[in-house]
Amino acid sequence: MNGTFSVLDASKLPSHAFEHRSPLWWGIIGLIVIEATVFASLVASFFYLRSNFPQWPPDGTRSPELLKPTLATLVLLASAIPMYWADSSLKQGKTFPLKVGPLISIALALVFLAMKVVEYRDIGFRWDTHAYGSVVWTIVGFHSAHVLALVLKTAVVTTLAWRNYFNRKRRIGVTVNGLYWYFVVIIWIPLYMTIYWASYFLSN
Amino acid sequence: MTSTRVGFNRSRLRGAALSLACVLLCACSGQQSAITPQGPVADRIAWFFWIMTGVAGAILALVLFLLLAGVFRGRQQAQSKPLTYIQSRNLVLVSGVVMPVAVLLGFTLFSAMTDRVVAKPLPADALTVEIIGHQWWWEVHYLDNRQRRIATTANEIHIPVGRPVRLLLKATDVIHSFWVPNLSGKTDMIPGKTNTGWLQADQPGTFRGQCVEFCGLQHARMAFWVEAQPAGEFQSWLARQREPAAAPDDPVLARGQAVFLASQCVMCHAVRGTRALGRVAPDLTHFGGRRTLAAASVPNSRGHLAGWILDPQGIKPGNFMPPTALAPDDLSALLDYLHSLK
Amino acid sequence: MTSHERIQAIDSSEEIRLLTEVWRSPPGFFGWFTHVNQTSVGKRFIITGFVFFILGGVLALLMRLQLATPENEFLNPDLYNQIFTMHGITMMFLFAVPIMEGFAIYIIPLMLGTRDMSFPRLNAFGYYVYLIAGAAMYLSLFLGMAPAVGWFAYPPLADAKHSPGMGVDFYATVVTFMEISALVAAVELIVTIFKQRAPGMSLNRMPLFVWSILVMSFMIVFAMPPLMVTSIMLALDRTVGAHFFTPGSGDPLLWQHLFWFFGHPEVYIIFVPALGMISSIIITFTRRPIFGYTALVLSLVATGFIGFGLWVHHMYTTGLPHLAANFFTAASSMIAIPSGVQVFCWLASLWGTRPRFATPLLYVLGFFFIFVIGGLSGVMVASVPFDTQVHDTYFLVAHFHYVLIGGAVFPLFGGLYYWYPKLTGRLMSEGLGKASFWLTFIGFNLTFFPMHYLGLQGMPRRVYTYLEPLGWGDLNLFVSLSSGLLAVGFLATFVNVFRSLKRGRPAGDNPWDADSLEWGTASPPPPYNFRYIPVVMGRYPLWEHLKNQEVPVVTGIRSDRRELLVTSLLDAHPESRSKMPGPTVWPLLLALAVGIGFGGFIFHNIFPVVGFILSFIAIVGWFWPRQLAREAREESS
Repeated sequence: MNGTFSVLDASKLPSHAFEHRSPLWWGIIGLIVIEATVFASLVASFFYLRSNFPQWPPDGTRSPELLKPTLATLVLLASAIPMYWADSSLKQGKTFPLKVGPLISIALALVFLAMKVVEYRDIGFRWDTHAYGSVVWTIVGFHSAHVLALVLKTAVVTTLAWRNYFNRKRRIGVTVNGLYWYFVVIIWIPLYMTIYWASYFLSN
Repeated sequence: MTSTRVGFNRSRLRGAALSLACVLLCACSGQQSAITPQGPVADRIAWFFWIMTGVAGAILALVLFLLLAGVFRGRQQAQSKPLTYIQSRNLVLVSGVVMPVAVLLGFTLFSAMTDRVVAKPLPADALTVEIIGHQWWWEVHYLDNRQRRIATTANEIHIPVGRPVRLLLKATDVIHSFWVPNLSGKTDMIPGKTNTGWLQADQPGTFRGQCVEFCGLQHARMAFWVEAQPAGEFQSWLARQREPAAAPDDPVLARGQAVFLASQCVMCHAVRGTRALGRVAPDLTHFGGRRTLAAASVPNSRGHLAGWILDPQGIKPGNFMPPTALAPDDLSALLDYLHSLK
Repeated sequence: MTSHERIQAIDSSEEIRLLTEVWRSPPGFFGWFTHVNQTSVGKRFIITGFVFFILGGVLALLMRLQLATPENEFLNPDLYNQIFTMHGITMMFLFAVPIMEGFAIYIIPLMLGTRDMSFPRLNAFGYYVYLIAGAAMYLSLFLGMAPAVGWFAYPPLADAKHSPGMGVDFYATVVTFMEISALVAAVELIVTIFKQRAPGMSLNRMPLFVWSILVMSFMIVFAMPPLMVTSIMLALDRTVGAHFFTPGSGDPLLWQHLFWFFGHPEVYIIFVPALGMISSIIITFTRRPIFGYTALVLSLVATGFIGFGLWVHHMYTTGLPHLAANFFTAASSMIAIPSGVQVFCWLASLWGTRPRFATPLLYVLGFFFIFVIGGLSGVMVASVPFDTQVHDTYFLVAHFHYVLIGGAVFPLFGGLYYWYPKLTGRLMSEGLGKASFWLTFIGFNLTFFPMHYLGLQGMPRRVYTYLEPLGWGDLNLFVSLSSGLLAVGFLATFVNVFRSLKRGRPAGDNPWDADSLEWGTASPPPPYNFRYIPVVMGRYPLWEHLKNQEVPVVTGIRSDRRELLVTSLLDAHPESRSKMPGPTVWPLLLALAVGIGFGGFIFHNIFPVVGFILSFIAIVGWFWPRQLAREAREESS
């Protein structure tokens, strides 16, 4: 029988890993890549469908208004800032920002959702009006569902923060929540450019 | 002109070899066969196929030889004699890289050259046939030079021998695919789009075509016939097709027409020259001249036609033709009338 | 690898008892629903996959019965169409991908020398989603309302107007479900391979099977989302009247692009893991290092990339511009180059080595013959003009069965014979195995080779019958009879599986004298996989351990809770210890919640909302840290 020799004592290794050293971090990256591919497929479909119409948006549908959606986008972008503040403060061991920052982010995200609801309530076309309507409603609906899920998820993280679950060592949950938040915010930019700018500038 | 002759000899030679193979392998009719080409497009593709098959056979033989030789080589010896690094590397480089690259380059070029024939632009005055796929039959229109419909038929396409025929391929319900393997490759018929294709028959003959894109319940029974005729014969056929149906000239036929016009048939079918103008089912103006019923499902005989009218679901379950109940005399008169529509 | 300490590791029975206790899966019926260990989940994937393989095979035999004679009335057209659709869905979605994932889930952590996957609960969730999807699909068949639109479900045939029943709704839901299951498995496999390799197993020491699973997982990550998007679009078209694929407004071809952008890589997703199995088997049975490790790895990666550039060759007949189509001819034939490199690397590895002709190797040799034929006919159909003659005919049916059965199922069966002793602790019967191989091999060729000829003689795919004068009858009868032989061949292996459970020869740890780490632990592996995490010094760790007469290991990983070693991505340098979750019922509950959301959408629009809320509750339950205080205490110590 062979001898078994210890060449490495793992008991001295840390029991917590941060950022890219943590499997969970990679898991979230995987999720983000998948979601990005989903959104990319939707955007590709948008442009593919566009090639079927002489006019885009199709006859009888106005080109989208740009001001309000842009404001909404700025609100959503702003929501990432308190998140970053909470995340980076925790790295230095400060837990207070984690109790407040995500609440501000949630509030901003809710404002964004409310603006979307108002906008699409009288947008003038529905998902069953034409293919343009289908793809725009799907993109917006799908993204809004993500924002909503994000709000709920962050609410849970914040609850845990108020119960002092997180600390300097145990912060991977906050890191990945933040990562996902940044992703949902950033992915909105190409989506926003597609459904508003592309619709506006490709209108002929 | 030399090329034509070479092509002719080639196809005759191959034809002979093939019919032998056919007899040996199975009793295939060859009327819906990609390797019994009867037109220039199918001919080029079949030629390309045999060359590829030859090369592929050689490659397969080489790989199997190397595999068996390599595996059994060591077996006969007491000691295993694996290849050296250099030998292995050369084997992989030569057979795994250089050979495939060379073969694939040749293949891609040959394929593109063959495709030039398939995608050849046709002269502007080529005969144009518009074909619309339906669940589960084919609507056929002949167009004049200004792309107006001049004659309409169904499930049967007549073409002149030796002349290229342009095809405009459409669909209204689901995707179908138009294919006459003896003459040409297939092209899909997609709702909302018009695809084009062309075919040509070198000799007179009848060839079967069939839908090759799954289109629902009766996909299997959506076929048609192509009849390649000498130019004169074709012209007179087309001239007849352009005419409306002749008025019945005897009492039995007149009664048959009356039965037809009084029945639900007219809701869907048209007989030009009468008030039957239905457009959702095959045009019956010259129905009597057709070989088959129900998109080449059964022969257009008196018995089959009677069965088809009384119980279409028994012949082709799920098709959209409702049964029609008729008294025996009425039915008999109707059959006479329909078969008189030549 | 720095080796400061060389103390002899001592096994204490107390520690082993503790490890077993901590990693054990709860017994009993209710315990069954809480398993998360990778060996448990992997085995479930494998068994469920084979069950679906058998079901799909039975459907194939029914089709062959129907086609045995012209104008046969054994099956009515509607049933036949449902059956061929279900055969495709079963084999592609419910058998091929899950079973490859199953083998990966079972074998990969063992091969990497770790104790579990990175996300065990997610792993269990993926299995339940798969099970629910498969059960729903077959439920629809038994209720006689299975989809009858082909596994590719082209609209407009698949839209609400032309397929009014619930079949296509089931299809769209199940497809989405299978995507979720596959994506979950892919992410986990990637992370496990990245972060949990045994110390010293740098990327260039990874077994080729691990490489192949890594490539497969990356392909899943990029190929499955477009299908998910498009199946959701189809569901929206059908249920709420969206117009993605409506002719004139949307475009039916959008579906085809998105579907084949997934569908072509799908073939490679099935095929690439099989390539890894072949490498493993060849290494073991020649008892030599493989030739061209780097070339094989690069070929796998290249196959993964090229696989995404070929989807248009499924659409040559849709009226695309010819120049574009010819570009895809060149791209498609490029895939033959990495395939050629791999085949000849294996040939070079086999040459003159007097390999042991055990059953796994026979399947690999069978693979060479069948796959080369399938690959060559694959190059042929990559040509635009030739494809217009054989597309959607039996030539294509022959071609892709040669590729999928030859390229994936033969290596899979080889892998089954190869790894069965690891899973069960017993060897399968060699005699029955060889008989099964020859029956399968001969039956396969007699069944599928004549189909090439049928296709050239004009026989289209997906027809429930054909007319007698066409003359296809004799050959079809021959094919149908041969398919019986093929079925007997497969059956022999399943009989072998059951018989060997009790009667097989005990295998011991390493019955084949193999090189990779999964053979370095007991068969079947204990719940914790390895008593000590091994340290790897080369590409063939067990052979090196044998040579050096010693096994270097890691000590100091806690035995009183589920803990494993996390290492760095490139060099597998130890980084940290990670605590793993134990048995839990939440994955099942989440799978049910998601099932209610997606499945309910078939019946009413309210269910997605219900599903969303239920899923949220399940996710919170899943992640909510239990014993907050105790964990906090542990961390500070």
